[in-house]
Amino acid sequence: MSPDSGSTARVAGRETAAVLRRHRRAVGSLLAWSVPEAAPAMLTGFVVARAVDDGFLADRPWTGTAWLALLVAAAVLGAWGARNTHRAVAGVVEPFRDDLTRRVVAAGVTTAARHAGTPATDGAVARLTNQVEGVRDSFAGLILVSRGFVVTVLAALLGTASLAPSLLLLVAPPLLGSIVMFSVALRRGVRRQRDFLYAGEQLADRTAAVTAAARDVAACRATERAARYADEAITAQARAERALARLAAVRSLTVAVGGWLPLLAVLAGANWVTGRGLSTGALIGVLTYLAQVVVPTLDMFVQTVGSAGLRFVITLDRLVRRIGQRATVAADPGPSARRPAGSRLELRGVTFRYGAAARPVLHDFDLTVYGYDHLAVVGPSGVGKSTLAGLLCGTIRPDDGEVLLGGVPIEELEPAARARHRVLIPQEAYIFPGSVADNLRYLNPGAGEQDLLAAVDVLGAGALLERLGGLGGEVRPRELSAGERQLLTLVRAYVAPAPVAVLDEATCHLDPAAEERVERAFAARGALVVIAHRISSAMRSRRVLLLDGDRAMLGDHRSLQAASARYREMTGYWTAASEPAGAPGPVDGVDPAVRADLRRDAGQPVAHRTG
Amino acid sequence: MVPAGPRRSTLVLLAVTAGLCAVAELALPLAIGRTVDEVSRRGAGPWLAASVLLIAVLVVADPIRDLAAGLAPAYRTAELRRRLVRHSLNLGGRAGSPGDVVSRVMTGAADAGHGGVALVLAVIGMVPVLGAVAALAYLDGRLVVGYLAGAVVITALLRRHVRDTSGTVLRYQRAQADIAERLSEAIAGSRTIAAAATVPTEIRRCLRPLPALSAEGVRTWHVLARSAGQGALTGPLLQLSVVAIGGWLLSAGRLTPGELLAAIQYGAMGAGIGGLVAGFGRVARARAGARRVAEILDRPAPRHGPRTLPPGPGTLTFESVTARVAGEPVLRDVSLTVPGGRPVAVVGRSGSGKSVLASLAARLTDPDEGRVCLDGVPLTEVSAESLRREIGVAFERPVLVGATVGAAVALGQERPQPYTVDAALRAARADTFVSRLPQGMGTPLAETPLSGGEAQRLGLARAWHARRLLVLDDATSSLDTATEAEILHLLTGESQRTHLIVAHRAGTAARCASVVWLEAGRVRAIAPHRQLWHDPDYRAVFGGDAA
Repeated sequence: MSPDSGSTARVAGRETAAVLRRHRRAVGSLLAWSVPEAAPAMLTGFVVARAVDDGFLADRPWTGTAWLALLVAAAVLGAWGARNTHRAVAGVVEPFRDDLTRRVVAAGVTTAARHAGTPATDGAVARLTNQVEGVRDSFAGLILVSRGFVVTVLAALLGTASLAPSLLLLVAPPLLGSIVMFSVALRRGVRRQRDFLYAGEQLADRTAAVTAAARDVAACRATERAARYADEAITAQARAERALARLAAVRSLTVAVGGWLPLLAVLAGANWVTGRGLSTGALIGVLTYLAQVVVPTLDMFVQTVGSAGLRFVITLDRLVRRIGQRATVAADPGPSARRPAGSRLELRGVTFRYGAAARPVLHDFDLTVYGYDHLAVVGPSGVGKSTLAGLLCGTIRPDDGEVLLGGVPIEELEPAARARHRVLIPQEAYIFPGSVADNLRYLNPGAGEQDLLAAVDVLGAGALLERLGGLGGEVRPRELSAGERQLLTLVRAYVAPAPVAVLDEATCHLDPAAEERVERAFAARGALVVIAHRISSAMRSRRVLLLDGDRAMLGDHRSLQAASARYREMTGYWTAASEPAGAPGPVDGVDPAVRADLRRDAGQPVAHRTG
Repeated sequence: MVPAGPRRSTLVLLAVTAGLCAVAELALPLAIGRTVDEVSRRGAGPWLAASVLLIAVLVVADPIRDLAAGLAPAYRTAELRRRLVRHSLNLGGRAGSPGDVVSRVMTGAADAGHGGVALVLAVIGMVPVLGAVAALAYLDGRLVVGYLAGAVVITALLRRHVRDTSGTVLRYQRAQADIAERLSEAIAGSRTIAAAATVPTEIRRCLRPLPALSAEGVRTWHVLARSAGQGALTGPLLQLSVVAIGGWLLSAGRLTPGELLAAIQYGAMGAGIGGLVAGFGRVARARAGARRVAEILDRPAPRHGPRTLPPGPGTLTFESVTARVAGEPVLRDVSLTVPGGRPVAVVGRSGSGKSVLASLAARLTDPDEGRVCLDGVPLTEVSAESLRREIGVAFERPVLVGATVGAAVALGQERPQPYTVDAALRAARADTFVSRLPQGMGTPLAETPLSGGEAQRLGLARAWHARRLLVLDDATSSLDTATEAEILHLLTGESQRTHLIVAHRAGTAARCASVVWLEAGRVRAIAPHRQLWHDPDYRAVFGGDAA
């Protein structure tokens, strides 16, 4: 299920190395400012030692105070350094975040367009956004802290050496040993942290699935089953959390070994060392380095690397797996030199299925859409009407057979060339934040204001345009109703240069009158294919294609009424429902199979009381 | 189930080790200081041994404390989550919106689960901090003055940081949300984009707020840099104030060198006062989490009885039933009998109580007054197994659960088999589109985008096994008219089952043997559709629903 920790770390390592290389200057400035930042750490023990030995213990308290004043200066220098390292980190972290954001967006839009029709959730986008932010924050923390750790510890060791070089022999080995121990634990930590993350996500997903269905689960009396399903994830998550707790124990052990053991060593070895003349002040100074610099810095380092560092490695790895190593350009077939002759769309012997084991949606299917055609496609939901629209427009490729646009195989044409001949308006209207005019010019950037206003007028979008503040008004997609969004995309399609329009339930959120107006306008504009949501679309079209799952029948409203019982059912029932059958109506005249089974004789429910 | 045992013993372990660590941490500077004094007097003494002992305690107890602090909440959180999920399932969707329940399970339970650890650590965390101040006072009262002066500066600076960042952070998040919204829209509109071949344009469009995001991002760092600088200044200065005063005391002979070293460390330790506040913040958060968990757990969930329904035709009776939603009565004193084996429609304007009537009939809710019986047995006394066998419900917007399409349909069946699932799919006219899915019934549900009508058909298939009563709560509204007609034909045909069909379309009501017409929570009339149709009030019920 999950990749091994080695490759996870490698992905993060590669990305990090690339970022650091690309922003060499910022990295350089970061390192340069780290030097003044470490000044207080470097001087603290030394100054304390001098202040004690030459000042306070030598009955010269003012000299001691003067030494301490040096430490004030160092602190000011350090603050200046700290301030600038934090500014410098922006030069590495922010471009990295920009780069990731660009890649997330590019991959998101490209993949969605390639698998047109797969629904994407806001949740997925939110998850991506969170991951990018997570990488940004953890990366910043990681470079600030690990760089600070190296510089500060070096400074403290240098300071110690300035007081008593031989003490380094007591200090350095446990410190190094603890870091080795920690890095060994860290390798395992990557895996544990990743398991923890996966377990948490699985738990959230399962809980969401189960609770969103709580009513349905109760209705199926499947509470036990659903609870067990969630329990599995809860148990797995708790197990992963406990494994992570063991890593926390290693973290504190590292601090104990790398921070406290050297201190103990110095204390115990001090007799031996002072035998060679270590002053009281120098001893205090060395202990100050250890207790005040090394222990807190090591603690901070271990905490940050053990949490933010692991999160960084894992989140970045997952993100990169999702968005690809770096944007790869889609390998479209070489553009055809052939130019389509006209905009006639043809399906020839087309077969399409959603999977090898699936029954085909279309089998050896032929269809031609002529210049001023007006074709309605009807059939039950799920029968493959939208698939047909996608095949016609070249956004879905058939398993067998060919799709021709103006006599040229449609997949040989560049996508932009296809777009010049046909426009697809799907059910989910795409509106972006921007002006109304920008949205309307989406398919025809050169459209004049008059063209736009004329289209608005023809399609009956005048009131909507007024409400939005005219062509210059700003559109917030989420503030529009589904019907308003559809109306805008229809105006947009109307002004598109393509002569063929394919409406895939593109009017389902409009009322029947508005729908009729739209369809008539498009029929007068050029060729029109309507994937019908309401049967009324078929009644006003020139030709009707009925897909009922087993075969396809092409005709017009009248001929299909005569030839297909299924079609009669659909139109008859629709008529019945729209003009409810109080008196004998079409429901009785069409097909006895759909007539209500009214048993008035016995067994009527009775109200005991109405009150 | 994890018994309470491991959690309680981990908490005890935590308290013991955390206490040991705190004491060791507090005693260590003094012990080290005394050791230094011993060393300067060239005599190895008991203080070195004491320091060794204290550090040994830290080396052993610190990791154990951290381990326990990680284990205890893991146990407790899991336990709370189990109870929470089970209880919200028992409440059958009345626990709250799914998003809210998930957040309570994920963060609420986790926060509450950390309660014990947070409290132990917060209380024990006071020991070194307060102890350090006390130790400074013990060494010399004047040290405390210097220390406190520094501490005041620190808190003032921290306060300023919070004020500074909020504006920038807000603008940053706004730019981020802007990009996310554009991306969501573009992904949702992917068919349009693919057909129009505008992928590069859309990528640029989504990224339009990026420069603003970047600029705000850099600005956050600048604000942060300022406070980092301030922080870098306060730490050493605080230490320095202690050292300076200590130095003068040392000169005056009131402090030994070792005590000065101890004072320096106590000064740093006392600065942990900020962490103390954070510790109690975690306790407060845990209590808030516990409240969020309790809000669900405290709600009474319906319980099932022990009885099995006796053989019968499926006669459904409501006896003086009153049901309230949020205190408001939606059904008032309703009594009616639906004879077994017949399709009966329930109609009424929205808000007339149709859905409540349906969920009472299926025992998804219990009446506030009166009772609902099936073949003479009050539904509250019937066992879950019996209910599952006898009653099915299909909804307008079914939520499907299960790994695959087939599993989602099998959810309601007692012993699902491929052929039983297949039969249900066929009955609900879902077999055709399921057979076109990449792996048929075995297609993962998550990879199956379903139209409203397809979901309804699967929802119907899921309930189809019910032997005695099938409740359809507007469960065919999204079907195309032909499919709905076929399904209604099945329901109203030869079936021996009772069907209670909440209907919005006149055509649906016309196909039932009789109609229960609800108005404002009461039964207005019960009669066949054709009879009621003469009443203009009745026709008005379907007024807005021509298609």
